[in-house]
Amino acid sequence: MDDQVDVVVVGGGSTGCGVIRDLARRGLDAVLVEKGNLTHGTTGRMHGLLHSGGRYAVSDQKSARECIEENRVLRDIAAHCVEETGGMFVKRPEDSEEYFQEKLEGCRACDIPAEVIDGEEARRREPYLARDVEKAIVIPDGAVDPFRLCVANAADAREHGARVETHAAVTDVLVEDDEVVGVEIEHDSGPGKRVHRQPGTTEEIHARYVVNATGAWAGQIGEMAGVDVEVRPSKGVMTVMNTRQVDTVINRCRPKGDADIVVPHETACILGTTDEEVDDPEDYPEEEWEVDLMIETLSELVPALKDARTLRSFWGVRPLYEPPGTGTDDPTDITRDYFLLDHGERDELPGMTSIVGGKLTTYRMMAESITDHVCEKLDHDADCDTADAPLPGSEDFSVLRDYMEEFGIRSPIGRRSAQRLGSRTDDVLSGTDPNPVVCECEGVTRAEVRDAIDDAGSDLNAVRLRTRASMGNCQGGFCTHRIASELAQEYPGRVVRDAEDELYQERWKGQRHALWGRQLSQAMLNHLLHATTMNRDGDPATTDADVDFGAFDAGVDPDAEGSGTGGSGSDDSPAGVTATDGGLETADGDERNGGQHGDR
Amino acid sequence: MTRHTGDDGDEASGTGASERHGDADDGTRSRPGVPELGRDEQPAIFVPDDEEGEGDEAAGSGAGEAMDPRTSTDPRTATDQRTATDGGVESATGGSDSAELDPDAYDPIDVFPEGDLDLRDGADSCYKCTSCDTSCPVAEVDDEFPGPKFQGPEQWRLKRKDDHDIDESITSCSNCMRCDDACPSSVPLSQMHNEARGQFVEEQMEKLSLEYVRNRILANYRTSARLASVVPRLSTFAMNFGPARWAMDKVLGIPKEREFPEFATRTFREWWRDRGGAQVENPDKRVAYFHGCYSNYNTPEVGKAMVRVYEHFGYEVMVPPQKCSGTPMFANGMLKDARRHAETNVENLVAAIGDGADVIASCTSCSMSLRQEYPELFDIHGIEDVSDHTFEALEYLRIHEDLDGALAESGGPEDDRELAYHAPCHARNQGLARQAVETFRDVDGVEMEDVGDSCSGISGTYGWKSEKYEKSMQIGEEMFDHMEDAEGEVGMTECPTCAMQMEHGTGYEIEHPLQLLEETVVA
Repeated sequence: MDDQVDVVVVGGGSTGCGVIRDLARRGLDAVLVEKGNLTHGTTGRMHGLLHSGGRYAVSDQKSARECIEENRVLRDIAAHCVEETGGMFVKRPEDSEEYFQEKLEGCRACDIPAEVIDGEEARRREPYLARDVEKAIVIPDGAVDPFRLCVANAADAREHGARVETHAAVTDVLVEDDEVVGVEIEHDSGPGKRVHRQPGTTEEIHARYVVNATGAWAGQIGEMAGVDVEVRPSKGVMTVMNTRQVDTVINRCRPKGDADIVVPHETACILGTTDEEVDDPEDYPEEEWEVDLMIETLSELVPALKDARTLRSFWGVRPLYEPPGTGTDDPTDITRDYFLLDHGERDELPGMTSIVGGKLTTYRMMAESITDHVCEKLDHDADCDTADAPLPGSEDFSVLRDYMEEFGIRSPIGRRSAQRLGSRTDDVLSGTDPNPVVCECEGVTRAEVRDAIDDAGSDLNAVRLRTRASMGNCQGGFCTHRIASELAQEYPGRVVRDAEDELYQERWKGQRHALWGRQLSQAMLNHLLHATTMNRDGDPATTDADVDFGAFDAGVDPDAEGSGTGGSGSDDSPAGVTATDGGLETADGDERNGGQHGDR
Repeated sequence: MTRHTGDDGDEASGTGASERHGDADDGTRSRPGVPELGRDEQPAIFVPDDEEGEGDEAAGSGAGEAMDPRTSTDPRTATDQRTATDGGVESATGGSDSAELDPDAYDPIDVFPEGDLDLRDGADSCYKCTSCDTSCPVAEVDDEFPGPKFQGPEQWRLKRKDDHDIDESITSCSNCMRCDDACPSSVPLSQMHNEARGQFVEEQMEKLSLEYVRNRILANYRTSARLASVVPRLSTFAMNFGPARWAMDKVLGIPKEREFPEFATRTFREWWRDRGGAQVENPDKRVAYFHGCYSNYNTPEVGKAMVRVYEHFGYEVMVPPQKCSGTPMFANGMLKDARRHAETNVENLVAAIGDGADVIASCTSCSMSLRQEYPELFDIHGIEDVSDHTFEALEYLRIHEDLDGALAESGGPEDDRELAYHAPCHARNQGLARQAVETFRDVDGVEMEDVGDSCSGISGTYGWKSEKYEKSMQIGEEMFDHMEDAEGEVGMTECPTCAMQMEHGTGYEIEHPLQLLEETVVA
């Protein structure tokens, strides 16, 4: 077949992005399809820890060794996605001394550099640590930006000839003569960049091989092909604090448990997490107690968290997998290792392999091993170079210049921009003049927003993932309209409006879990500003529908309004259309999956 | 909401002083009860510092002499490179034996390892509402100035522990502190600005630059004034001598348009010594007068009015040894200078408080500094006490005395007075913007008009910089207009530099409310 490609990779998380990059660099003709934005599933919903391996040094030394190895690789090839924060395992008086020693020995056994410091020294380094923290093991944990990492992988893949289609959900796996021969996808708009209100098409992509890298969703793709993939999705909550109470990763040194890590991430801190098995990776309760638990428990390590402002919370689902028959009850006991399921060998359905399990830190290693596997299947001989070749943005990152003066950007904004853009700083910042700050909280300028729009079409959530715009304390209250107005030169008003609504709604979704104290005040201020100045309180006059003025005179049926009440998020209505989920239903009936995009 | 020192319930969980200090590891922090004078001393670069020759200062109350740094036994004096600010009270890094400490006792204003304040958590209170920016007089006239929201919560939130770059625009903030007053949610804006400016000056400003030298001279007004007062007439002449002013403008950037204030031929402290100190003794009603530099060297009539009015109401006035309140130093990022002066002030004022006195300032910026900036920026033993016991002179009388009664009884001043009153920004922050007008509203023969809530534009040293002069006058324009419109031909304000600006812009003579009070009640 003429239009047959070598490989289709399903899933635009870290694994899928890693695989497409590796395939493309080895000269294979590959396509990546993702139903949402890149990182839409699990990758965009993690705490951003670049593991040193310390967390697995006792329970799973194989994973620990892989982590430290890949940790070093990523610092090198993805420098602009990584912040070398360092990390600590801290011990409180009630935590086991024996386990502390085991942890230390485990780290050393796995070649993870580990140093013990006393409580005083730990507090000197991190003044907000609790005063009764006794001692700590210092390990080279870091923070990684999963969005930036995936975008950079995808960009590199494109440069090497790959095609990347986001907002392209797989609707069927094509099977001919008991062999997988491709997938059928439905483009939300296009193909190509996503643009609101542009009709989508259905497309069949024929391929010599299909890689199912959909993580927690692997079972669903498997089902389309008629095979069983027993992923056990397990949810975990992460709570985002407004500022950085700590500048290094703080882990609690105890065997296992919920709420035992604080990761400094860009301007914020992320608290994690829980581990609870769920049936459906897209439909599970997001409960208040989970958020409370994070703040309660972690304030034993960092007491300031108790009174600090939270911005939002989000949940992710781990794609845990265990080989049939293992029978582990507690999801925390399921291995974090990854598995290649060759459906040819396993289910007598050649042409497709699923990859499940694993973690972001080792994404490149997983990608390498599945690419090796695919190359073998396709009889393609090429070496992997992804451990040595820097990602776009991380080439020549050592050049730190005075961006502030060069581009007329104020100091901390220039610094943050340069950190996000890495070696692309010159290209991006020099193109736009004047270059005002669009997102004040995160210090994102017009140049960066426009650069992201070039890449992402009218999808402002994709712009957000690339730039961090709207991810600060006002959660988009003061910048969604500014970001949206950058679309206006290229797209018609309706498109801009839809894009703006979608971003605003997505920002609201996570804030529902932080509606107390200061974020509640912020949310109310945002709402009133947007309602009173932009008519964004669901005024029917702003929709396409005819206005039924009679409905106003007669009064609105209060019961009809109250269907989606409560901020707990446990409502069972479809995401994106309940009152609590942003309130504004679009008139064209386009049910937007507002909260489903990577969420931070 | 006005931010008064100490009333931020959710900040600074003020507990005892015993756990504030402690420094076993780095040995660079102050110890309880032992203000370490001059330990962050740097060699003065333009004039010898004035630690000596202060014999006249002890004459007033005998409450204790300033320690001379050169006799200090502290071996760290010379080499100590610590930063000036240290998190106010109880930093969490303190405590040599953490097991004894309450893990809940946290100071949210904590320190970065180098000793600089970590004010990132102040961004938690910011809703980006922009009230601060719209109230900022500098942002209104200076397009290059990004405004207090950026300088404060935004810049701090973007900062990381290992970052040391503060945007240069911080030096354009005039420290009028109107943003503090405008903020509806108690973001510690001026504290964020002060600390950022201090870090900028310390780490990014070229120490040999003329701008630094000029700013240091302006910030250390007390030093120049003390020298000038040795030969006041000559100084007044020399400082305003045309060719000298031209040279100052060209070389240092001190605008030639401004006239240097006249130096008094006899300072307040000289007058106080000559009159034999306090004329009233009253252990039950004692006040320690913080006259500040300007009332001492330039307008001793304000200080004299304070003494006469307070003695009229039966107060025993003490005049403890004192140095600059620090206001001009904060505004120029000279936090080490400010700290050195603060150590003397706190030590002597704490002693006076121990004798039963409250601290009274006649300059609203001095009272502002002692009340709010001191505890926000410095961790000096007793600094919270000073903050709690400090009042502005008129404010204190309005609280404790029947001023209305006394004024009604007096029958008003001898001659009818018509005054154009300007409330200083720093008075506004202490909730005192209307006190003068309210006090004299019903007094026969006094017509006092409030000229509005705009900033005078001088903001201490801001208007004394050539590159800011035009902007300073632009800011002041509204006030000048309103003064011209007012009936009175005499201006009135509590702030000495506002007074300079008022005089500069209108040619009016400017008085202090205490002088009117003296004229009305005491005469």
